[in-house]
Amino acid sequence: MTLVAVGLTLILLAGLAASRQALFRVLLGAGCLTAAVPALAVLAGETVSDVRLAPTTPFGPWVFGLDALSAVFLLAILSVGSACAFYGVTYLAAERGRRAVGAAHLLLAVLVASLALAVVARAALPFLIAWEGMAVAAYLLVVFEHERREVRRAGMIYVIATHVGTLLLFAMFAIWAGGTSDLSFRALAAHAPFSASRGGMILAVALIAFGLKAGVVPFHSWLPEAHAAAPAHVSALMSGVVIKMGIYGLLRTAVLFGALPPWWGWVVLALGALSGVLGVVWALAQHDIKRLLAFHSVENIGIILLGIGAGVLGVAYGHPLIAVLGFAGAALHTLNHALFKSLLFLAAGAVIHATGTREIDRLGGLARPMPATTLAFLIGSAAIVGLPPLNGFVGEWVVYQALLRGISASDAVQFAGLAIVVLALIGALALACFVKVVGVMYLGTPRHVLAINPHEAAPGMIRPVVVLAAACVLIGLVPIGVVPPALRVGSLVAGLPAGTADVIGTTAAGPATVFTVGLALSLAVAWGLYVGLSRRGGGRPMHAATWGCGYPTPTPRMAYTASSFAAPLLDVFRSFAGVRAHRTAQAFATHAVDPVLDGVLVPTWRGIRGGAAWLRHTQRGGLSRYLLWVGAAVVASLLYLLAGGRTP
Amino acid sequence: MTPDGLVAVGLLGIVAPAIPGVAVKTKSLLTGRRGPPVLQLYADLAKLVRKGRVYSRTTTVIFRAGPVVALAALIVAALFLPLDGRAAPARFAGDMVAFAGLLALGRFALVLAAMDTGSSFEGLGASREVTIASFAEPTMFLCFIALVLAAGDISLSGILGAPLAAAWPHAGASLSLVGVSLFVLLLAENSRVPVDDPGTHLELTMIHEVIVLDHGGPDLAIILYGGAFKLTLFGVLVVSVLVPRAGLSGPAALALLFAGLGAVAVAVGVVESVMARVRLVRVPQLLVGAAALALVATILQLR
Repeated sequence: MTLVAVGLTLILLAGLAASRQALFRVLLGAGCLTAAVPALAVLAGETVSDVRLAPTTPFGPWVFGLDALSAVFLLAILSVGSACAFYGVTYLAAERGRRAVGAAHLLLAVLVASLALAVVARAALPFLIAWEGMAVAAYLLVVFEHERREVRRAGMIYVIATHVGTLLLFAMFAIWAGGTSDLSFRALAAHAPFSASRGGMILAVALIAFGLKAGVVPFHSWLPEAHAAAPAHVSALMSGVVIKMGIYGLLRTAVLFGALPPWWGWVVLALGALSGVLGVVWALAQHDIKRLLAFHSVENIGIILLGIGAGVLGVAYGHPLIAVLGFAGAALHTLNHALFKSLLFLAAGAVIHATGTREIDRLGGLARPMPATTLAFLIGSAAIVGLPPLNGFVGEWVVYQALLRGISASDAVQFAGLAIVVLALIGALALACFVKVVGVMYLGTPRHVLAINPHEAAPGMIRPVVVLAAACVLIGLVPIGVVPPALRVGSLVAGLPAGTADVIGTTAAGPATVFTVGLALSLAVAWGLYVGLSRRGGGRPMHAATWGCGYPTPTPRMAYTASSFAAPLLDVFRSFAGVRAHRTAQAFATHAVDPVLDGVLVPTWRGIRGGAAWLRHTQRGGLSRYLLWVGAAVVASLLYLLAGGRTP
Repeated sequence: MTPDGLVAVGLLGIVAPAIPGVAVKTKSLLTGRRGPPVLQLYADLAKLVRKGRVYSRTTTVIFRAGPVVALAALIVAALFLPLDGRAAPARFAGDMVAFAGLLALGRFALVLAAMDTGSSFEGLGASREVTIASFAEPTMFLCFIALVLAAGDISLSGILGAPLAAAWPHAGASLSLVGVSLFVLLLAENSRVPVDDPGTHLELTMIHEVIVLDHGGPDLAIILYGGAFKLTLFGVLVVSVLVPRAGLSGPAALALLFAGLGAVAVAVGVVESVMARVRLVRVPQLLVGAAALALVATILQLR
């Protein structure tokens, strides 16, 4: 714990030194490395004893600790946080003198530190303080470009969403403590088992509060707005790590709650299926690269929830193996998604930086001017789609295993196995979406003449992206290195002794590692054979124009657009795809709307505001009118009594 | 990994180009034509390999990597299939996820290669290909669910090998339905009638053919061979479900597998001669129908 504390102090110091770039980088890097050491040690099987802050603190002892669950989230926070901070230094360099760049770096350091604090807190009050620090820092970072109206709107939606969540957390801890004043997690866990109604309240409130943070459908509306408005490295950190705090909250709740009821598992599973499918369908409809990536976060949160749902059902119905695999898959996919989603956001940020637009239909052919960014984005895309041999595949494979083992169970868990179909649908739709993104943005020809010539990103932006891509490849190649620690996390959440899952983990992960390494080797050998043979085949390849059906002069405007690419799929899902299509004889375009935000929340809010405007007529400030109200009230009461009403 | 298993995969690779040939021959004979020889594809491949290469100026290395990655992924996928009816050269818990992932990897590579040309026709084909795959993949997993339920194992070697053979007596009806569903999947995944028409000659109506429009010479040879290999892989799935071969000796099981593959190819040819292609908007319905069959197969086994 000392190392974690030292690391967090260094990160905060780095924030204070934000005006000096070199010092900021050194301090932040050192801080993240220092704090990552104990996290890795815990994941390798060591234990770290808890630390108590002071003899007397309000609401019970303030304890901080590091177990496997905290460690996996801490690792995600530190790796993604440092990559985003390093990237941000270069990304915002051009803004120096125009905007408060130093403050942005400080806030980023505060955000990383409060995230880390939230996962090591073992009492409600420090947890809530860190939670709120994270929300405020994230809000201030989202409104970095506050002179734009849509940025301020996104910031407001985010603040409302996150504070509703925090209020619900207060309610949850209050119900949980039930009048006692000791809010340390140890004391809270000691309240179990709960009566069905109190336990149900706690779990329902936890699901909504943490679901709001995680962006689970139907609580996701703030997510695409905030992610699109924030600077690229902030979007990366929010999508990669901040929303995962909702997942951390759910898993921590599961640890502390003890005997989880089956209904919670079914609800989590259903929400996961809903978020997964709707997230990817809505992503297909987006043409703004950052909004698109944000909806993919909703999708991946869905996949993680499917894992958690399987885990909860495994606990509730007494299948330890399913429980461990489900929670382990959720934890592993959380870490993986943190890596590849921040990679994708950072690479997309490089494109936005280089071209000045977020509209994918205005881009095209960026693979030539930006080869390194293209390669990194391609690796991230293959990873998020879950293709072997990358890290996305490993996490999804563990979730699949939990569900596959559910099929052969002899009780209701069998039906959870049908979530496999949902998982497969999500995977296939995500593939469609990322073919669209990569194909339209990076391949083919430019679709518009841009104001600036695209150029490769600066080395300071490329390096963090390359490191994240390397991490994705590395985790993908050695499942045996990551699956056993993930199973340790799974056993912890499932409430089982650490050793139970190790055997099954290594027996399955060993052959899987042979497979991933073998696949990588076969791909390399196949490519080597191809290049070797085609070189020996003699005759240099000729170059010509793409076959245009006999049409000799293709123009950029003839290139296939993202709207057209996604149209067949969106037609199938049209009733809930949230898309308005504009079709004319010459043009086809689609425009995405958010069914929950634009269809429910905004109209409800307008209705409340309309009703309030009507009420305002009663408050004109004139004395005579108030006397009239008093008189009317007296007459109404008398009439009530005359009609036979009782006095209270 | 046993040498026998690798030899079997090698044999499969040698036989693969004949399978679409059998389908074409069947179709030709049924429609009153003589048709190309069954082994025509071997000659085509030999010719294409010797040809020169022409690349579009728009393309990058992704265009060239597409066919290679797709074929390599398919060959690795073949290692998970129990060709001798008992055990595959490679197996682990949940390896059907790897199998599906490899098919998806191949598709990802080919479709991106198509997008790399910047042609609207290839964009069109790519869009259709991923749309169809979005319905094919869940259907495939629904078939796997029914098989896992029957065999009580979660690896392909289990659900297509000996445990499946043991499940036939009590789950025969369900397994037959899975076989039909997998056959529809074979037609959809391999761009056969009624989903796509391999004989079409108009870019606007093509799906798979239009994706490979700009590939030529050795690259096209790899794609054609990969297509034949993929058809063969799906044929192995269908045959393994319908004709369990766990009781036979290795060579006999392989012989029966190849006979079964021939029968599947004939069935593909028959379907192509008696049916027209369905409209594109109907394709998802066809696949959902196949998924419904697999769902029924699953429900039949719930106790």
